[in-house]
Amino acid sequence: MAKNLRTKGSKFIDETTRVCFKFNGNKYFGFKGDTLASALLANNIHLVGRSFKYHRPRGIMTAGSEEPNAIVQINDNTAFTEPNVRATEIEIYEGLEATSQNCWPSVNFDIGGINNFLSPILPAGFYYKTFMWPASFWLKYEYFIRRSAGLGKSPKFPDPDIYEHKYIHCDVLVVGGGISGIMAAKISAKRGLKTLLVDENPNIGGSTIFQNSKYYKINNLTSSSWLENEIKEINKLENLTIKTRTSIAAFHGYNFLLARENLTDHLSANEKKNKVRQRLLKIRAKKVITATGSLERPLVFNNNDRPGIMLSSALKKYADFFGVACGEQNVLFTNNDTAYETAISLDQKGIKVNAIIDIRENSNSELSKEVEAIGIKIYRSSTVVDTYGYKRIKKISVMQLSTDGQSVKGQKIFINCDCLGIAGGWTPAVHLFTQSGGKLDFNEEDQIFLPKIYPSKQISIGSCNGDFELDKIINNTLKILKEFLEIDETEYDNIDVSGTRNLNKRNIWLLPSDKILGKTKPFVDYQNDATAKDIKLALREGFRSIEHVKRYTTTGMGTDQGKLGNMHALGIIADTAGVKMSELGTTTFRPPYTPLSFGTIVGRNVGEFFDIFRKTPMNDWHVKNKSKFENVGQWKRAWYYPNGNESMHEAVQRESKAARESAGILDASTLGKIDIQGTDASEFLNRLYTNSWTKLDIGKCRYGLMLNEDGMVYDDGVTTRLDKNHFIMTTTTGGAANVLAKLEDYLQTEWPELDVYLTSVTDHYATISVCGPNSKKIVSKVIPNLDLSEDNLPHMSFKNTTIDNIKCRVMRISFTGEQSYEINIQANYGISLWEKIMESGKEFNITPYGTETMHLLRAEKGFIIVGQDTDATLTPIDLQMDWIVGKKKYDFIGKRSLYRSDTIRDDRKQLVGLLTDDPKEVLEEGAQIVANLNKKPIEMLGHVTSSYYSPNLNKSIALAVVRGGKNMLGQKLFIPMENKSIIVTIVDPVFLDKENNRLNA
Amino acid sequence: MLNYNSPLVKENSYSELSMKVINPIMKLIIRGKKREFLSGVGKAINMILPTESCTSSTSNDTTALWLSPDEWMILSNNVIDKNTNSYEQENHLINNISKINLGAVVDVTDQYVLINIEGKKIFDLLSTGCPFNFNDFRNKKGGVIQSLMAKIDIIVHHKEINNVNLLVRRSFSEHLYSFLSDAASRI
Repeated sequence: MAKNLRTKGSKFIDETTRVCFKFNGNKYFGFKGDTLASALLANNIHLVGRSFKYHRPRGIMTAGSEEPNAIVQINDNTAFTEPNVRATEIEIYEGLEATSQNCWPSVNFDIGGINNFLSPILPAGFYYKTFMWPASFWLKYEYFIRRSAGLGKSPKFPDPDIYEHKYIHCDVLVVGGGISGIMAAKISAKRGLKTLLVDENPNIGGSTIFQNSKYYKINNLTSSSWLENEIKEINKLENLTIKTRTSIAAFHGYNFLLARENLTDHLSANEKKNKVRQRLLKIRAKKVITATGSLERPLVFNNNDRPGIMLSSALKKYADFFGVACGEQNVLFTNNDTAYETAISLDQKGIKVNAIIDIRENSNSELSKEVEAIGIKIYRSSTVVDTYGYKRIKKISVMQLSTDGQSVKGQKIFINCDCLGIAGGWTPAVHLFTQSGGKLDFNEEDQIFLPKIYPSKQISIGSCNGDFELDKIINNTLKILKEFLEIDETEYDNIDVSGTRNLNKRNIWLLPSDKILGKTKPFVDYQNDATAKDIKLALREGFRSIEHVKRYTTTGMGTDQGKLGNMHALGIIADTAGVKMSELGTTTFRPPYTPLSFGTIVGRNVGEFFDIFRKTPMNDWHVKNKSKFENVGQWKRAWYYPNGNESMHEAVQRESKAARESAGILDASTLGKIDIQGTDASEFLNRLYTNSWTKLDIGKCRYGLMLNEDGMVYDDGVTTRLDKNHFIMTTTTGGAANVLAKLEDYLQTEWPELDVYLTSVTDHYATISVCGPNSKKIVSKVIPNLDLSEDNLPHMSFKNTTIDNIKCRVMRISFTGEQSYEINIQANYGISLWEKIMESGKEFNITPYGTETMHLLRAEKGFIIVGQDTDATLTPIDLQMDWIVGKKKYDFIGKRSLYRSDTIRDDRKQLVGLLTDDPKEVLEEGAQIVANLNKKPIEMLGHVTSSYYSPNLNKSIALAVVRGGKNMLGQKLFIPMENKSIIVTIVDPVFLDKENNRLNA
Repeated sequence: MLNYNSPLVKENSYSELSMKVINPIMKLIIRGKKREFLSGVGKAINMILPTESCTSSTSNDTTALWLSPDEWMILSNNVIDKNTNSYEQENHLINNISKINLGAVVDVTDQYVLINIEGKKIFDLLSTGCPFNFNDFRNKKGGVIQSLMAKIDIIVHHKEINNVNLLVRRSFSEHLYSFLSDAASRI
């Protein structure tokens, strides 16, 4: 096997740099510039993997991203491993290790190969039909089905590579760097348009760059030489950026495209160190020019999948571009003239072509004449009826085609070969066009789908637009571009193009064999092992829509998304069902065009960048004092401050006792703060909140409840009147951004007549809340110049003051039920003030407490937390907060909804307090509440919303919402848990100090 | 004495790129619609507010950024005293604007952190996380835009060619700076 099939003299490969790589554990050599496929072929290796269902040996079919068979696992058992990598795309580098997939123990001897012999009992739909019964066996079936699912192996270790995202904006994006793409990029960039040209290959030039043929000339140069000069020129253009190894993954609406730029996959481990592996480009283009070319079609005939059977265009590329002969005894099988070009190319490289099988009756083109002159035997009006050789094709059998092409006749001829190039015509790559929402039109003459209706400013040029001949490509490209870019002339207007090819082709979607269809294996989808007979079976079983046939047979559902076989599937359905292909349509082309790694999609949003974090001004103090943190929205909030090995429960009990008995201090900086100014500010608040604001005196604070239009509680907080026309509103931590947006929306769209201005000052202030019986003493030490007497600063009032020359605001508001002082100071002085208060409070054992203790303290007072005790289904009345709804008010947001029949029902869920019979039993938040344990199905009356053990009351307390709970005071209910039922009593939600004596203590 | 604590004390240099947090800089948001508002602001701080969208104007000691049709940010061009949070310009504005009901004046000095970025690669850096189209912006000094960087709200002021002031809310600043320096390290 160890042969060297390298022909000398490819300028695209650096033969001075030898590269060593491993395939299935064996060492091989290739050259810099080789793909894994070209390097393997140069080493005479065709067998690369096994097919998905029948485990048939498979080889390299193509030379591009459409490859269905040659997909391998790269660097298996390392953190850098990647499954399903196309050998035709990955470039070899020093140290690359590739292994075959879907085979065990080896690609040469694969136990799964037994499926091939069982194939008669494994038709399409086998799984659906077989594993339905008995239903109870499904779990057993599933175990085996899951084991055999998938091709490669998922990585087991975290991906150590770095991926990035990048936003790009351009005037013109050209997708595809073939001849028409290069021309488009040059025309566009030279007109001052910021142009981006992307191509999935390592180099631009498409297939023209190695088309060194006397038949194709531009300005008297071979098309390849001419294009080389063009590439040199466009490389100098200032407005043009060229990105190679960059594949457009998705073409979304309004010319938003995603591309994967592959930066280091072709480099050795040393060279790629610390570099970004892949970049996801998020491209916004004013105009998009699609020049994605076309894909050569295979032919569908019996056993058309053996290693050594390749696309004719791939044979040509391996010879002309990579300098590699795919076989020593080549045969070509074609329905059009392109195979003749391949034959001439191979012959010029000294690669032997034994014969050409042409299903057409004749071809009198120049190409055909030259092939005959070379002495290559042409079998016209003939077809391959079978192929032989298990792990590599050895020979083919050929018979004459009947006139209608539906059967074969005459003598069977056998021809030896080790490589069979097949040429079934061309399919324009319209994937991106359809992804963008474009509508296709079927061209009967060429049997292809072409772009018809463009949904955005985009255009298709070149062979993806149905132009396959050089002169047509160039002339049409120029014509289309002039209109699309609105220009009168281009630098190519006087171009002289000559190219000739007989356009005559004969299209037979399923070629006949001498055997009946049932005994043959004509593959349509190579990767998923869907054959023509599977498709016919699907039709027989009643599937008509192409989408249904696709799902039943799995045609087009592999990692290659059926780039090669989808058209044949359509053709066979159309022929069998007797419908026109134009009526049949295509399956939906979905992104990505080629698979994307998760890393690329995720980019840098990993580790510390996985989610945004926000920190309060006092964060460093909390960290230094070993606080545990809780995520509240994006904020990192101090949760509790354990002393030594204290558990959360112990810490919370200690913190809450300290707050009630002496003094506690809380970082409340995360609360949203909105500065409201304007002559209509109090009217604005009147309309927002359920209660009245007109009469709030300057210097006073008031609690407000904000509803949605549907009457449900949306947000709450205390708003302070700083001046006649100046308020500061506090919102919940999580609601801050939404509340501001909602208020701004109302001002701009509903009430533009109001003179009100909003400004967020959430981050401007550090908010420190000092509470407890000793809080006044501590605050007076910190702010000696402020009169803290009840007369000067009563509960729910505020004063402007200074601390060491720094302006700040002090508010008497309380979320704990204790006497509390909330000090708002500019954020950058926050930590210093906090430390100062801690120092002043030392003698009173001032205790920092976190969110958990805050929740407990407010629950003792029955204060709600919007979002914890409410869930957008509760009105203020449901919360037993009737007192806050201004009945006399003309209007406020949500007022009308409070009087709907549904919102005034008595049996709505209402907020109540719960006490457990056993005072030590702490309920679980979210636990369901029922009245009757025996009723089936069990009737759920509500659930627990907050639950704590209160050290101040020495019992467990809970808040809950219960259907009709308001009128159930004293009633016993049950909370069924996994192993027991807990008996609870409905009580008033205020557990502590109902008279509010502690506020002024 | 209360100490001033900067949310970030950062300065980093990369090839053709450097980033530095600058503070304290006075920052005010002023909002108003009336014609008298514009003339009142002009008188109070001796400069004409930019009325063209996404632009700025600068005087000797103050810069005004256009944020929306009735909203501007006023920045001091130089750092201010750490030991006071009372600013002459703010007082002038309050007396000439909010006190006489022409509009709103709000101190946001600590609401935002100002990161100055200098060098040729500024916009390469921003393109790693900001969806805004900087193609025209980068060639014209004085531009102001509000967008997202790594999903965080930012204000970008194109101070000079190859010199940009980026304003981010204080609580997000550590995350954003970390994201920027991570991205900058590979540019």
